[in-house]
Amino acid sequence: MSANDKVHQPDEDLVRNALDGDEGAFRDLLERYKRRAYGVALGIVGDPDEAQDVVQDAFVKAYYKLSDFRFGANFYTWFYRLLVNQAIDRWRKTSRSPTISFDEAWVSGETSEPEAMVYPKTPEELAGNRELAEGLTRAIAALPEYHRTVILLREVEGMAYEEIAGILDCSVGTVMSRLHYARAKLKEALKGFREG
Amino acid sequence: MECRETRQMIQDHIDGHLPPRVSEKLREHLGGCDPCASEEAELIRVGDLLRLWSAVRVEEREPQLSALWTRVGAVIEERRKPWLVPLLRRWFWVPAAAVVAVLTLLFYPLDGSRAPFHPKSFDVTVESLESDAATVALVDKGEDLPRVIWIIENGNT
Repeated sequence: MSANDKVHQPDEDLVRNALDGDEGAFRDLLERYKRRAYGVALGIVGDPDEAQDVVQDAFVKAYYKLSDFRFGANFYTWFYRLLVNQAIDRWRKTSRSPTISFDEAWVSGETSEPEAMVYPKTPEELAGNRELAEGLTRAIAALPEYHRTVILLREVEGMAYEEIAGILDCSVGTVMSRLHYARAKLKEALKGFREG
Repeated sequence: MECRETRQMIQDHIDGHLPPRVSEKLREHLGGCDPCASEEAELIRVGDLLRLWSAVRVEEREPQLSALWTRVGAVIEERRKPWLVPLLRRWFWVPAAAVVAVLTLLFYPLDGSRAPFHPKSFDVTVESLESDAATVALVDKGEDLPRVIWIIENGNT
C-alpha cells in the first residue's frame, strides 16, 4: 500500500487492522492524530511536558482498549474521550492553583492598550507576537477546565456540539453554555489587542 | 430583529446552528448594526486566535512529537514482556525460602534419628574415637582458618 493510500485509509480500517495485530495500523492512527491531540491536551493541562505525557498515555490506553471501540462511531471522538479524561485528571493532580486569575487590569483596560499590537493572520505572525501569544496562554489557563476543553474542541478541532457532549458526557445545552462563557471570557481578555 | 435577540444568536450563527431563514435575518441586522457586527467579529477572532495559538504551540513541540511512536511503542513493548519474569523477580524470596527450609530439614531432621551434623558428610579428619557412642572430629581447613572440634555423643553435638 502506498503512502498516499494510507493517508486516505479510513480510521475504521486502521482500527480493524490494528485489532488483527497490525501494529503499523495503530501507528498510522497515532501519526494521524498526535498533533491535534497534543494541541487539545496542551490547552487543558497548560504545560508542554505534561501535555505530551497525556497524549502518550492516551495512545497507550487506546491501544489496549481498542477492542472497546464500536465500529460505526468516529474513532477520533472515541479517542478524544480517553484523551480529555486523561488530560483533566492530570491537570487536577498537577495544578498548583485551581484557577489562574485574569490580569484584571489588562482585561478591564486600565493598562494602556499596546500601540503596535497587530492581529495576526498566520501562526508565524502569532509566534512573532510574544505578548499576544502569552496573553492567549494566560487567558486559556484562566478558564475552568471544562470551559477550555469545550472551546478547544469546538474552535480548534471543529467538533459539533453533539460530539463534544458525547466526549464530556454532558448535554448539548451544557456545551453551549460553557462555550458561550468561554468565548465571552476570551473575548474580554483579548480586547487589548487591536486588529491591524 | 433587535440587538438583544441578535447577541443571543451570534454564537449559534458562528457555529452554523441557525436555520437558514433566521441566519439570513441575523445577517441583515449585522449589516446595519455596528455594535452587533463588532461583537460577531470579536467572537470570530477568538476562534481564529485559538487555532493560530494551537498551531504555534504544536509546531514548537514538533521534534518531540516526531518521536512519540517510539515512546508509545516502547511502553507497549515493555508491557508485552513475559508476565512470569517480573512475578519471579517480585516473589523470588518464596523459592529461596523453600530451598533454605529443605536444607535445614536435611541437616536437622525433626525425628531426631541422627545427629544434626554428621562428620562423614564433610571433609574432616576424625582424630579419635573414644567409644561407640562418641565421636570427636577435628576440622582443619588450612593454616589461615580456625580449627573446629566437634564432639558428638549419643547423637547430640
